[in-house]
Amino acid sequence: MDMVRMDGGSASAAVPEDQCVPTRRSNAIQQFTQQSLPSCKPVLSPASVITTFFLMGVICIPVGFVSLHASQSVVEIVDRYDTYCIPDPFKSNKVAYIKDSSIPKNCTLHLKVPKPMKSPIYVYYQLDNYYQNHRRYVKSKSDKQLIYGLKYNDTSLCKPEDSNKGLPIVPCGLIAWSLFNDTYSFSRGTVGLKVNRKNIAWKSDRDHKFGRHVYPFNFQNGTLIGGGKLDPNIPLSDQEDLVVWMRTAALPSFRKLYGRIEEDLDVEDVVTVKVLNNYNTYSFGGKKRLVLSTSSWLGGKNDFLGVAYLFVGSSSIFISLVFLLLHVKNPRTEEKESQGKNRRPCAARN
Amino acid sequence: MNGRARTSRSSSDMTSRLPSRTVTLGRVQPQSPGHRTIFCNDRDANLLVKFRANSISTTKYHVLTFLPKGLFEQFRRVANLYFLMISILSSTPVSPVSPITNVLPLSIVLFVSLVKEAWEDWKRFQNDMAINNNSVEVLLGQRWERVPWKSLQVGDIVRVKQDGFFPADLLFLAGTNSDGVCYVETANLDGETNLKIRKALEKTWDYVTPEKASEFKGEVQCEQPNNSLYTFTGNLIIDKQTLPLSPNQLLLRGCSLRNTEYIVGAVIFTGHETKVMMNSMNVPSKRSTLEKKLDKLILILFCVLFSMCFIGAIGSGVFINRKYYYLGLRGPDLTPDMNPGNRFVVALLNMFTLITLYSPIIPISLYVSVEMIKFIQSTQYINNDLCMYHVETNTPALARTSNLNEELGQVEYIFSDKTGTLTRNLMEFFKCSIGGEIYGTGLTEIETGGAQKNGMKVDGVRKSSTAVHEKGFNFDDARLMQGAWRNEPNPDMCKEFFRCLAICHTVLPEGEESSERIRYQAASPDEAALVTAAKNFGFFFYRRTPTLVYVRESHTEKMGKVQDVPYEILNVLEFNSTRKRQSVVCRYPDGRLVLYCKGADSVIYERLVDGNNDIKKITREHLEQFGAAGLRTLCLAYRDLSSNAYESWNEKFIQAKSSLRDREQKLDEVAELIEKDLVLIGCTAIEDKLQEGVPSCIETLSRAGIKIWVLTGDKMETAINIAYACKLIDNNMKQFIISSETDDIREVESRGDQVEIARYMRDSVKNQLKKCHEEAQTYLSSSFGPKLALVIDGKCLMYALDPSLRFMLLNLSLNCSSVVCCRVSPLQKAQVTSLVRKGAGKITLSIGDGANDVSMIQAAHVGVGISGLEGMQAVMASDFAIAQFRFLKDLLLVHGRWSYLRICKVVTYFFYKNLTFTLTQFWYTFHTGFSGQRFYDDWFQSLYNVIFTALPVIMVGLFDKDVSASLSKKYPELYKEGIRNTFFKWRVVVTLALFSLYQSLVVYHFVVTSTSNSVDSSGKMFGLWDVSTMAFNCIVVTVNLRLLMMCNTITRWHQISVGGSILAWFLFALVYSGIYTPKGIYFVFYVLLSTAYFYVALLVVPVVALLGDFLFLGVQRWFFPYDYQIVQEIHRHEPETSTVGLLEMGSSLLTPEDARSFAIARLPREQSKHTGAAFDSPAYESFFASQAGVVTNQKPYDVVRRASMKSRPKNPHKD
Repeated sequence: MDMVRMDGGSASAAVPEDQCVPTRRSNAIQQFTQQSLPSCKPVLSPASVITTFFLMGVICIPVGFVSLHASQSVVEIVDRYDTYCIPDPFKSNKVAYIKDSSIPKNCTLHLKVPKPMKSPIYVYYQLDNYYQNHRRYVKSKSDKQLIYGLKYNDTSLCKPEDSNKGLPIVPCGLIAWSLFNDTYSFSRGTVGLKVNRKNIAWKSDRDHKFGRHVYPFNFQNGTLIGGGKLDPNIPLSDQEDLVVWMRTAALPSFRKLYGRIEEDLDVEDVVTVKVLNNYNTYSFGGKKRLVLSTSSWLGGKNDFLGVAYLFVGSSSIFISLVFLLLHVKNPRTEEKESQGKNRRPCAARN
Repeated sequence: MNGRARTSRSSSDMTSRLPSRTVTLGRVQPQSPGHRTIFCNDRDANLLVKFRANSISTTKYHVLTFLPKGLFEQFRRVANLYFLMISILSSTPVSPVSPITNVLPLSIVLFVSLVKEAWEDWKRFQNDMAINNNSVEVLLGQRWERVPWKSLQVGDIVRVKQDGFFPADLLFLAGTNSDGVCYVETANLDGETNLKIRKALEKTWDYVTPEKASEFKGEVQCEQPNNSLYTFTGNLIIDKQTLPLSPNQLLLRGCSLRNTEYIVGAVIFTGHETKVMMNSMNVPSKRSTLEKKLDKLILILFCVLFSMCFIGAIGSGVFINRKYYYLGLRGPDLTPDMNPGNRFVVALLNMFTLITLYSPIIPISLYVSVEMIKFIQSTQYINNDLCMYHVETNTPALARTSNLNEELGQVEYIFSDKTGTLTRNLMEFFKCSIGGEIYGTGLTEIETGGAQKNGMKVDGVRKSSTAVHEKGFNFDDARLMQGAWRNEPNPDMCKEFFRCLAICHTVLPEGEESSERIRYQAASPDEAALVTAAKNFGFFFYRRTPTLVYVRESHTEKMGKVQDVPYEILNVLEFNSTRKRQSVVCRYPDGRLVLYCKGADSVIYERLVDGNNDIKKITREHLEQFGAAGLRTLCLAYRDLSSNAYESWNEKFIQAKSSLRDREQKLDEVAELIEKDLVLIGCTAIEDKLQEGVPSCIETLSRAGIKIWVLTGDKMETAINIAYACKLIDNNMKQFIISSETDDIREVESRGDQVEIARYMRDSVKNQLKKCHEEAQTYLSSSFGPKLALVIDGKCLMYALDPSLRFMLLNLSLNCSSVVCCRVSPLQKAQVTSLVRKGAGKITLSIGDGANDVSMIQAAHVGVGISGLEGMQAVMASDFAIAQFRFLKDLLLVHGRWSYLRICKVVTYFFYKNLTFTLTQFWYTFHTGFSGQRFYDDWFQSLYNVIFTALPVIMVGLFDKDVSASLSKKYPELYKEGIRNTFFKWRVVVTLALFSLYQSLVVYHFVVTSTSNSVDSSGKMFGLWDVSTMAFNCIVVTVNLRLLMMCNTITRWHQISVGGSILAWFLFALVYSGIYTPKGIYFVFYVLLSTAYFYVALLVVPVVALLGDFLFLGVQRWFFPYDYQIVQEIHRHEPETSTVGLLEMGSSLLTPEDARSFAIARLPREQSKHTGAAFDSPAYESFFASQAGVVTNQKPYDVVRRASMKSRPKNPHKD
């Protein structure tokens, strides 16, 4: 920054020659106690303020454009299906519909691709008004049990889903219990689209937070079934749906990765999605959405950062222009400053 | 008294066992009724009564009591108690955070505080040990044996040698001086350096040798220990004779023996029962006003915390619902805080949850950081400042407390003592006028100042070869020196002038009778100066006997001739304040009878013989001239007496002198008879030397908006004189004088009815005040009125301080730019100080050097003692000690201002960073169904205060400075920002709170919104801990960068600490999230680092968060600059001149030797060691309270009696 000016940058400048101080160390102590450490003094003078704002603008606007471009290049299809998938007779009583296991929950969605989508196309499900971050919910798991299995049987944090018939539930706790269990299958025209459901969780979670030898042998055997079931023959670390679900979201509205479609989609393609609408969001008024999205280096479609950069950049430029105008029109001279100096104390005296 | 003391022995034994500590420290209590009996030289007999040992202890703690007591002390602080409660809360199930979050910072803070306490107490303990192990000679058997002080017991006979300290309160039995007299110096008690006389009872004079002393078997009955330094009653029963004892026989602990080879005494009070220890009490530690305001701020934070919790609690009560089935709100063992069936309990319990969650809003490390900063400020900066280092006396400044540094930056009223503070208490003969001719060519500081103001060039000190400068004499005029006066137009007059100086005084010569070696002991330094002057003019007064004054006169008959002339002193008419003059009737060896008189011009002129009007007129002009130059003047006159007239007068004089009633008054009347028809010789002008740089310092301070009041025990004339000299008053000012020295008051006083006097005085003071007040109002209402000055004397002040008049006095005095109070007692000084402190609510500073200033020093917000010449009393009571008045400029304008600025920044920054942090947590609460889920990891939260943001703010507290030291002094107006409390106004706090709000919103919402989608090309989503770590990351960066924006100077240490803090966070995050634990936070930071989003967001979030602040600061600086910012920009292109400023300021360059002596001075000093008593922080309030209203000092000694005593051994055959 140009507003920084170095004073007494070298140690010798601050000490007159007649004061011979032998070592650097005592010199430093001297500077410390006499409060004359070399320092620079950033003065927010008009020029430096204008320059700083201008520079900020110059830096932020390009970054903004790049980020915005990245976001714009992402193609995203969002479709809310929770109300759509309820058959008309049950529209008035959705909760009864979802709780009644005898009624088939099949449902078909047709998604039109607006722009060509390059693979990989990520499939997300999005829940709204779902408080995965509730204090009771967040702590309702046993980190140690997830990795060590039954070797670790303190499941007090998991209440009320802690044990079943004297044995700790594996995996215990509300988070696992309420596992999301809607499923989707995709097809383009008549040809099925393969969805890759591997590698959807962060590697660190799979490797270090879920045990390779922990099997959900008694999962969802209780009286109340919350959500999805797990294959008792697959260790937890390979149950990627569970791993994704258990990385609790920060906000009550969140997306979770379901899988990847590893084929390109063209404009005007119609993707048919067969949904098994199992998960109950109706009792608390939650929404369910299916999201198909490509990705850029900056992730999914999110204009926010780009817009923020552009906004900061342009307003910086604007401010710097306003200041520049003021500065040119009404320059501050030293004379004026000293007049100001004289004026103020007098004013203060009254 | 005798009668009471002779009460039966049996009862005295009983009463002496009464608890002796019935006396409340620091307060005068009625004497306890009992008395103690001490059997001298008989340890077994004394054993029956358990007297206290002579060892003292001033420590606060004991090894065992340290932890409980120290912790108790710590938890008396509200902040610590708060965190203790939070810690307890956080270990209960309602807490959303683990106990470590609160326990860790609290224990760090407590640990630091306890270490500091322990260190301080250890030093006190060592100090006590040193004192207790001093050795003293005790009579054991028939020998003197050296034992440590602590093993001394009541009744022991001890021997104290010259210059030794008395180990306990002793009964003076015998001394080596033939007349049973010894001299003690009481500088440790009252600051007076002149010697006091103590006289043993005649009966005990012989017990000097150990053999004799061992025979001494007296029994002392005396009062119980008490804290009154100047009273003592008791009886010595020896050989069945009862002899009354008085304070005259008591040698107090802490005093030292002078001019006496050794004394023998019996121990009466020991250890904590000695009078000096009973006087010592812990000075209630002062807290700065800023700190008190800080308490209010903390209180407001509590309110904010509470309302935040309240909102959250209500929200949680409303939110909780069984419909959120995934929360599992069912079952028999549902905890009450989650039971939707009872929403009220949910809300209530959630309240506690949220309190623990939001607890970081109160900055726990604030107090300990501020304390640390202040400690370094005072020990490293103030104590080591070369600008406040006095080379001549090798005295650096000393901050005795570190509580009040920032208070120094807000002082509005300074109460200053005069003698020794403004002036050096060093009288120098400077000029004189003899027979209408002015002699003496020097210029006083006022004259030079005046000349400089008029643009005249003043030559440096130009001394002629004849100039002589010694203590008390600073006179330069060749016309009078070395006998040259014989060639002056009026040699006879000169001769009379010099003889008057040499004869008319009550000075005692001491030491060798040569003009170089002699020392004069005088009641006032003026007298000594006059006698010294006479010596230098060739009239050397070298010996005094009760009847004779010997003067070695040279050059009288012819040049170079020296003769010793004895003048017989027939009568001495002493000086007192009503007479304002002093006369001596003397007989020349040739029989000539002369009365020499010196006194104030007003009284002398009334008594002059008619005629000689020219000389009178010229001399009066000279008097005015001297007065304007700030010199103290005296007129000299003489009168030749005829033998007959004298004899008849002398008879009346003797009669008056021997009269029993109204002796003083009769003597005055007789004196009037002879002090008339005087012939004016001339006048002397003595410079009451101001301390170096006082006028310019006062001018600078008043430019800084500080009002200076002079409170002095001196006479009104002297006080006004000095006020002129210090430029406190000038002729353009309107002076209001409220004096008790008016004719009608005197008349009423002469009638002698106390009640009437009081009533009359009261009315008169009231009228005068009212008049002045009205007049002041008219001046104030006109915009160009003169500045006002108030002069008031002690008697009037006594009435004006009455509750009914107090308000008017305050009103009047606050409107005056200078106030001079003269003839005030120590207590009144304190009253005036607290009048302004409490009445006006302004920040006050008292500065003084003597014991009489102690109460004033303690009454003010800040007490400053002048260290150096007089005793240590004022210094011991003060908060800061400096060597010279002029250093006040550095202390206030540089250190005070900087400290204020820094502490304000530190406090507001702490407030800001914790509020910002907590608010993000608060916003998160809204997104979690008000459940009180924590946003940040436990360790992040607990280390936020103590690691990630702790160090940079301390750097600001230590290194930030707006303008350099020399500019601070060049523009004293900058100080007004402190007086107005510009940097810690509510407006400032609110502004910062708004920015805090803005930043927390920006950080929280930017991070949350930008992470709602996938953040890199792998399409994976962030979880809670990823988002919160990102937010925390942004907070740490933002808050640390914000600090840099607050800095006026950025040193390497700022860069290191800010960079280090951010780096420490990154390192911690890397290590912490890399440690293999199956925890939410595991690997999170690496996940973050692997995304592109992290870097893009990390750039924009702090920038946006700080954009508002930057804009605000820029606009504020541009359009509404503070004064300091203007100065900064004026001197923007000048190099740092702090060392140049030092050279301007200091009287001399610092040579390597000086630097070395300074380095020595910086070594830790053992102040208490040589005082002989534990004066760690004694207060002598009680002493002053007991002296309430009494101005006169104890008469140090009787001049003539001492003269006879001194000369007796030398002149055994005197007439």
